[in-house]
Amino acid sequence: MSVDLAITVQGLTKDFRVGLAGHKLRAVDNLSLNIPRGQVYGLLGPNGCGKSTTLKIILGLVPATAGKVSILGFNSATSEARRRTGFLPEAPYFHKFLTGRELVSYYARLSGVAEGDLKSAVEAALELTAMTEAGSRTIGTYSKGMLQRIGLAQAIVHQPELVILDEPTAGVDPVGAAAIGRMILAMRAQGKTVVLCSHLLGQVEQVCDRVAIMDNGKLVLEGRVDEVLARRDRQVISATDLTAPAWTAAEAALLAHGAKDVSISHPRRSLEELFRELVKGSRDA
Amino acid sequence: MRNLIKQSLRRTAWIARITFLEAIRQRFFAFLILLSAALVVSSVSFRFLDFGHGELKFVADFGFGGVFFFGSILTLVMTAQLFFAEIENRTALTLLAKPVSRWEFLAGKFTGVWAVLGIFIFTLTFILGLVMWGRHQELVALAEAAGRVPPDLSISGVAAYALLQWLRLGVIAAMVLAISSVARSFLFAIVVGAMAVLAGQLQWIAQETLLKDKDLGVVYQSFLWLITRVIPNLQQFNIGDALALDVSSVTNGAVWAASLSGCIYIIVLLVLAGLGFRRREI
Repeated sequence: MSVDLAITVQGLTKDFRVGLAGHKLRAVDNLSLNIPRGQVYGLLGPNGCGKSTTLKIILGLVPATAGKVSILGFNSATSEARRRTGFLPEAPYFHKFLTGRELVSYYARLSGVAEGDLKSAVEAALELTAMTEAGSRTIGTYSKGMLQRIGLAQAIVHQPELVILDEPTAGVDPVGAAAIGRMILAMRAQGKTVVLCSHLLGQVEQVCDRVAIMDNGKLVLEGRVDEVLARRDRQVISATDLTAPAWTAAEAALLAHGAKDVSISHPRRSLEELFRELVKGSRDA
Repeated sequence: MRNLIKQSLRRTAWIARITFLEAIRQRFFAFLILLSAALVVSSVSFRFLDFGHGELKFVADFGFGGVFFFGSILTLVMTAQLFFAEIENRTALTLLAKPVSRWEFLAGKFTGVWAVLGIFIFTLTFILGLVMWGRHQELVALAEAAGRVPPDLSISGVAAYALLQWLRLGVIAAMVLAISSVARSFLFAIVVGAMAVLAGQLQWIAQETLLKDKDLGVVYQSFLWLITRVIPNLQQFNIGDALALDVSSVTNGAVWAASLSGCIYIIVLLVLAGLGFRRREI
């Protein structure tokens, strides 16, 4: 197994039994993924496509029906793997009577941060998430954006090598979402691997190095963001100082009309377009 | 190895601490402790209903009964509520994504709840002890004036009662956790837990029926056999009034046997809770 991989998923399948008759519902279907270290990785898909189940299996919260998952070389169900992982669940809820600082200290202790390092670890996490001042307030007084940020602080307080974020910007205003995006990039700059589940495709496109798109429990596309967004069946002509009449002429004619830096490249579609195209048949796409 | 155990205990203690802080803030806890305290204090005013028993015995029965009844309700509701709150609010997701084992999670929950139950039991027993001691002083003075034998009251017996009751509520809390670990809803855990407490309180009737009545049908006999072996015997802790008022009637062995079986019940039930919770999907 390569040491350059943060997460390895091999042939992962998860079946749920539903109803009294115990009918089988396949949530994840033979999924294989290799998530490299030190990158921001987007896991995308419509509601019910199996991405949250995949995350829960990766975190050891739900047992797999078949397949193997390892985190940084450790079996994902072990505490060794979880010690190296930070997790922010979707719409996190925390004990309202604790202050932000107490909450982060609590999770730091559970994550095994030594008492001697506790204060500095908590303050560093609060600082990275811009919660230093609000850290003295009780969580009951926090806005949704602050809840997400304190959730992020508890996820990174023990300096994990891998951070898994499930919808970190859900319900957060654009300014807050942009701030969380910057925090994700800051984590990548520190050498952490970030796995991100989000419906905000514009943000995913901005911060992710690689993406995987799931539909009906299956992987339908995986690759570098630049590569998957390039449309290789078409070409685009780009130029600077282009005059209006040149639009109607061919490439050779453009040069004749005095245009400069003429180049031919693959046009780029947005991640949102690609996503819609891939999950066209899905209910919530 | 020693370091691993130390870290595990540390995590369990922190989960217990947060559970305790959450439980102690609940209005339900404040309401029940106030209601029970009012009942215990008012027990002296109802002594005319003693039905021919000694006055102190009535006060003791009234107070002990109130503490057990409200303590059982508090244990049932609080244990199930604190467990399901973690699942439904999805704080368990965040918690169990840390290097926290499910055993540590359950042990922490149990310890936090049991600590709150300790506050409930020891506060109310202290109040009850004060009420009984005050009335005992008056009754001793009256008996001496009338040349009668004064009634007995053992304060250490009341303290022993408090410890046994704490153990009994611990058994109920562990039982509710075991049920909750496999239950899908809060209501189901409460209903089944209440039925188990009731069955636990009727253990001696079940055991006596099983031993004496030989004409029972196979189904009824099997049912009673199962009940007497699966449901913890909560009736063995009902020696509060004897400990307080007639301590000579209770052997040391009875108190130790009840304490030991209480501890064993708690351990076994927590192991069952752990096994039920081990593969639960969060």
